[in-house]
Amino acid sequence: MWTLVFRGLATGSIYSLTAMGIVLVLSTTNVMNFAQGDMGMFLAFIAFALLMRHVSYPIAIVAVVAVGLLLGALLERGLMAKVRKTTSHLGMLIVTLALTMILEGLAGYFFGTTPLLFPPALQGDPLHVFGAILDRQDLLSLAVAGVVVFILFLVLYRTKIGIASRSLAEDEYAAKLLGIPVRSIYIFIWATSFGLAGLAGVMVAPKLSLEPGFMIVIQLKAFIAAVLGGMNSVVGAVVGGLLLGVMENLVAYYVPQIKDSFSLILVVIVLLFLPEGLFGRRAARRA
Amino acid sequence: MLNIEDLHVSYGPIEALHGISIEVETSEIVSVLGSNGAGKTTLLKTISGILNPTRGVITLDGVVIGGMEPSTVVRHGVVHVPEGRHIFPNLTVQDNLILGGYFGTAAQNSENMAFVLQTFPVLRERLRQRAGMLSGGEQQMLALGRGLMGNPRVLLLDEPSLGLAPIVTSEIFAIVRRLAKEHGFGVLLVEQNARKALDISDRGYVLVNGSIELSGASGELRENPEVQKLYLGGRNVDARL
Repeated sequence: MWTLVFRGLATGSIYSLTAMGIVLVLSTTNVMNFAQGDMGMFLAFIAFALLMRHVSYPIAIVAVVAVGLLLGALLERGLMAKVRKTTSHLGMLIVTLALTMILEGLAGYFFGTTPLLFPPALQGDPLHVFGAILDRQDLLSLAVAGVVVFILFLVLYRTKIGIASRSLAEDEYAAKLLGIPVRSIYIFIWATSFGLAGLAGVMVAPKLSLEPGFMIVIQLKAFIAAVLGGMNSVVGAVVGGLLLGVMENLVAYYVPQIKDSFSLILVVIVLLFLPEGLFGRRAARRA
Repeated sequence: MLNIEDLHVSYGPIEALHGISIEVETSEIVSVLGSNGAGKTTLLKTISGILNPTRGVITLDGVVIGGMEPSTVVRHGVVHVPEGRHIFPNLTVQDNLILGGYFGTAAQNSENMAFVLQTFPVLRERLRQRAGMLSGGEQQMLALGRGLMGNPRVLLLDEPSLGLAPIVTSEIFAIVRRLAKEHGFGVLLVEQNARKALDISDRGYVLVNGSIELSGASGELRENPEVQKLYLGGRNVDARL
C-alpha cells in the first residue's frame, strides 16, 4: 500500500512539473501549450547526448535546464511574440500543436526513432522504509520536484518579476498601466516553463524509453492534473499532479480493469461536478 | 507641466477625439466632464500610452510622451488609475502596492509605502489580505495608493467615484485634493459625478462627442446654465454632499 502511494507520488511529481509549466503559460499568456511535454522530450534527448559523451549527470541536468531557459526565451521572442500580434489565442494554441510536430520531427531527425534506454541518475537497490519499497530514481524525482516547487514559489511570491507575472495573469490591462514590462515577463514565463519541461523530461526518461513520442502521455496526464487543480493555479497544478499520480497507482492495483481509462473518467467527473478544480479561483471580487 | 495639444485619436476609421488641447499644472486639479462616450476614457488611455494618437502632441515638462509605451510614460511620472479600479483581486494588498512601484528603487519604494499606509491607514490593517476582499471604497484607496507608489507628477483618475457611497467619495476626493496640494502633483480627473468633480478641481473642461465645448475655472463652470442643465441635474440643486 505505502509502496503504491510512494510510486504514485513519484509519477505525480513528473505530472506536477509538467502541469506547472502548462499553468504558468496558460494563466499569464492565455495560451494552452500542447508542446510542454515535447519540450521536455527534446531536452531529454539533449541530456541523453551529453550523457553518452560522458558528461556527468548533475552537469547534464544543469546544462539541460539552462538550454531550456534559453530555448524558452528564444521561443517567446522568435515565435510567440510575433504570433501574438497577428492571431487569436486559439491560433496560438494551434501554433503549440505545430510546435509538437516540429520538436518530434527534429528529435527523430537528429536522434532517430528507435527507443533508447535512458540511464537513471541513481542506481542501486531500492530502499526499504517502514515496509515500503522506495526506488532511488523515484526519490530523486520527488526531491527535485520539491526543490523546484519551493524555488518557483519563492520567485512567484517574493520577487518583483514573480509578483508581476501573477498580476499579468489577473489583469493584463492594469499591469500595463502600471508600466510593468509585459514583454520581459512573457520571456520570463516561457523560459521558466521550458526549463521545467527539461527537468520533467530528464527525470521521467529513465522510467520510460526515450523516443520522440515518449512525453505525449505525460502531456495528457499533466493536462488532467492541471484541470484537477483548477487550470489557473500553480498550487493546484502541484497538488493535482501528485493526487493524480497516487490515485492512478491505487486504481491500477485495486481496480485494474479501468486503469487506462481512469484519468479520463476522472477529468470528466471533475469538469462535471467541480469545474473550477480544487484550487481554481473563485471570483474574489466584491463591490 | 502636462500639455496636450490638438490631440486626435481614432479607433480604426472612426475618430474619437477631434483635436483636444488640455493642460495641467503642478498642484492643479483639472476635471474633464462629459457624458458616456464623450471620449473621456479615450483621452486618459492615450495619455498613458495604451492608445496611440493619430495627431497632436502630449508633453510633460516639454518632453514628448505621446505615443510612448505605457512603461515609458509611467517612468516619466504620469500614472493612470483606471476606471473600475483594476486592482489585482487575488494578490495581497501589499503585492498590489509593490507593483505600483515597479520601477522605483528599494529606498524610494519603502518611503512611498510608508507614505501610502499613513494616508490610507485601513490598507495597513489589510496588508496581507487578498485585495479582492476589500470593500469598494477600500479598493479605490488601494488603486490610488498603488498609483502613488509610482511617484506621480501627474495622476490620471478615471471615475474614482464609480460604485462608491457618496460619503466615501467625498472622503477620497478630499484626500486627493490634499495630497495634490501638499505634494505638488497635478491631477487630471475624469468624472460622471460633475458636481463632486467641480467641487475639488481648480479648472474644468467639458467634453462633448470628442471635442472640448467649454472650459474654465470650476466656479464658472458650476454657474454655467448649460453645464447645470446637462451635468448638474437642473438649476439650484444643493451643490453640497
